[in-house]
Amino acid sequence: MQQIGKNQLWILIVVFMIGSTPLFELGIKAKQDAWIAMTLAAVAGLLLTTLYVQIQKRAPESELAELYKIHFGRWIGGFVGIVYALWFAYESMRNVRDVGELTVMTLLSFTPKWIVMLLILSAATYTVSKGLEVFVRVVQLLFPIAAFSYAFLLILLFISRLPKIRHLLPLLEHGMMPVLKSAFPDLLSFPFGQMVIFFVFWKHVSEKKMISAISYWAYIGVSLFLILMNALTLSVLGPEISALAALPLLEVVQLIRLANILERLDVVVTLLLLIGLYVKITALYMAAVFTFTAVTGMSYRYCVLPIGLVIYASSFLETNNTYHLWIGLDITLKIVPLFQFVLPLLMLVVGVRKKYKTKNMAR
Amino acid sequence: MNKQTAGALTPLSPSLQANVKAIQSRFGGSTDLVIRMFRSDAAPEREIAILYVDGIVDTGTINESVMEPLMSMRLPPHALVKGSKLLEALRSCVVSIGSVQDIHALEQALQYMTDGLCIILADGCPAALTADVNGGDQRNVSIPQTQTVIRGPQHAFVENLRTNISLVRRIIRSSDLHVQVHKLGQQTHTNVAVLYVNGIVDEGIVKEVYRRLAAIDLDGVLESGYIEEFIQDETFTLFPTLLNTERPDTVAAALLEGRVAVMVDGSPIALMAPTTFFSFFQSPEDYYQRFDIASFVRIIRYAAYVVSIVLPAVYIAVTTFHQEMLPTTLLISLAAQREGIPFPGLAEALLMELTFEVLREAGLRMPRAIGPAISIVGALVLGQSAVQAGIVSAGMVIVVSFTAISNFVMPEFNMAATSRIIRFLFTIMAGVFGFFGIFISVLFMLIHLVSLRSFGVPYMSPIAPGPAKQGLWRDAFIRLPWWAIVLRPMDLNLRNPKRQANGKRPPAQRHSSKP
Repeated sequence: MQQIGKNQLWILIVVFMIGSTPLFELGIKAKQDAWIAMTLAAVAGLLLTTLYVQIQKRAPESELAELYKIHFGRWIGGFVGIVYALWFAYESMRNVRDVGELTVMTLLSFTPKWIVMLLILSAATYTVSKGLEVFVRVVQLLFPIAAFSYAFLLILLFISRLPKIRHLLPLLEHGMMPVLKSAFPDLLSFPFGQMVIFFVFWKHVSEKKMISAISYWAYIGVSLFLILMNALTLSVLGPEISALAALPLLEVVQLIRLANILERLDVVVTLLLLIGLYVKITALYMAAVFTFTAVTGMSYRYCVLPIGLVIYASSFLETNNTYHLWIGLDITLKIVPLFQFVLPLLMLVVGVRKKYKTKNMAR
Repeated sequence: MNKQTAGALTPLSPSLQANVKAIQSRFGGSTDLVIRMFRSDAAPEREIAILYVDGIVDTGTINESVMEPLMSMRLPPHALVKGSKLLEALRSCVVSIGSVQDIHALEQALQYMTDGLCIILADGCPAALTADVNGGDQRNVSIPQTQTVIRGPQHAFVENLRTNISLVRRIIRSSDLHVQVHKLGQQTHTNVAVLYVNGIVDEGIVKEVYRRLAAIDLDGVLESGYIEEFIQDETFTLFPTLLNTERPDTVAAALLEGRVAVMVDGSPIALMAPTTFFSFFQSPEDYYQRFDIASFVRIIRYAAYVVSIVLPAVYIAVTTFHQEMLPTTLLISLAAQREGIPFPGLAEALLMELTFEVLREAGLRMPRAIGPAISIVGALVLGQSAVQAGIVSAGMVIVVSFTAISNFVMPEFNMAATSRIIRFLFTIMAGVFGFFGIFISVLFMLIHLVSLRSFGVPYMSPIAPGPAKQGLWRDAFIRLPWWAIVLRPMDLNLRNPKRQANGKRPPAQRHSSKP
């Protein structure tokens, strides 16, 4: 079995959670309090993460599908596993589509979407076919690039004195209710609830004892970063423009003008987001393959291409970007709590079934 | 080990004439086979023969150390009685030679002769003596041709394996430097030496090297490149997974780092494994120069490597897809240059790139005497005139030239060569998909790089996967002062992973201000 180290785990968590999230101004329904909504959702997400880690501790050598089998029995558990695999593939498809939309919108106006999506998905398929070890190593190489670029952008933003605190005021203009409404369940489901995917990868971490500490700290760190980015976009653009812009972060970066050289950095941002999206696509794709093989017992190698084809084909189902965003931000977010919250909680309540108890708890 | 003697052996006959005939016929009457028959004063009734292949032995040594003692020897009387006793007596006469061996089979005799030894046969003895008189004309040890340094040892390997091994031995003066010689090649019987420092090296890797070498069954091994393609981990990759060098100090350094070196007779290039991507950016001079300069130069090398891969691609992506990234004045001047150019940027770039590759190959292969011609043709005709004629833009010429120059910064030629091919792929992807194409190409390259291994060591360690031991980065992107490099590089299962004790930083030298 391929194994990953503890450093690789936290890098994977950080890069996966960042993904394309800074691109959007999440929680903008709460107007200038979007960042407060993010904070609340992040705290709730930490509770979810605790829940996941606790369940994982019951059977450290099991991944998602195996955990469900242990808790719900072979048939129901297997069925739930398949549904999860479909969900992962679906989420992966959404990110593929994001890449298509983003690239056509910002980088390549005249290139057909299908070839852009084919290219990014072929990179993902290549990674998935090489396995988890190779994937986390790629993420390790991409991480410093992403980290330096974000740091660079942040410094430039502050040097050009773009963030203005007054955009964030007044605090809680309409009380707590709008903030809570935008935080739950939408913000909890995306991005914070996505930690559920690590059920699939925790099994492969070589230092099992470090899993909980690493996961918590990586989660807290990345949450702070996401809240910071959210507040920053808001403070630069103000709640009105943030709500209108399709890709608020791009608008922010386009405002940077320094010394007649550093202009139009939106290409850099797009590439940065592409890195995040690639990691997300691949992680979800790989999670789908892992879960599917764990349920069906099929060979990993034979599952990679078919699942990739399913992801590619389904990415054409949505007719346009507006429809894509509507499904993503309205419909999907209403369903995913089932996967992120209801089923894991059920698992916690049900407890390990008798016949698996001795086998898995003894370890 | 020795493939020829491993087959059926023909025992030597007691008759000298029969043996000489047999050897002669095996050589097919080759004219460089020398047979010298004589009778010694001490045993005039027994004929003695010395056989060797002309040109690969030192005739002076044969005359002085073999012929002369044999002719003038004094034999005790009992030596004449029994046939094989004579040979033993002969042996005591030629001991001054160094290595003398008994052999009993015709095939062995042939093998030793082609290795540059001489064979001593005596009438009535079904055995032979070999004496090592290796010699002949060889190139002298000279300064390195391809891996030059300003500060550091100035000698390079030659085509003779013995000389090469001795060059390393003179640096690592320890019995822990183990040298094992194998014969490879059904026809060439090339000596292939495996070197490692016992007590440092990971024995698993030595075994793996032996295993891979033993699997080779080629008719001839003419250069270490033959071996490299058999023992590397991955064939279908542009990236080399074995280091090579012509410098004895580089081999010695690699051995001290726990690597295994493979040297091939007839080749001045030694192979070293395992290796990582980052080893290819390290010149021996990094360790001889001051650490700050060395670190700076090393960073320059990484940057130059990236430039040599992506610069034309970025130029094309910017000029054809993302013009808004350029400052307006530069954009206008570039647009003005491109005004009369009939080709799209991609075609222009590929044209110039291919032209440069042709020039480069021509410069390498053509006779020395016409050397200056190529620089005139290259610089003036193809550079300046192409711009004036409106075939390519001046900007593109600058980009291609700088890319080409960047490629020569690399200390290891085989790593530099990878960028020449990758550059074309990047250029095409950039021409079709702009920055997105570059992004996808980089992704594919990174995925490929991290999936490579060299003798089990991940190619991109210690970055991805990160180092198992702390402190391995100290000699990867930069080089810290020597006292800080405590660990040998690479995540290997070394017997002795430390180069020195911790905390060997020299104390600050305080001098009193008084004169």
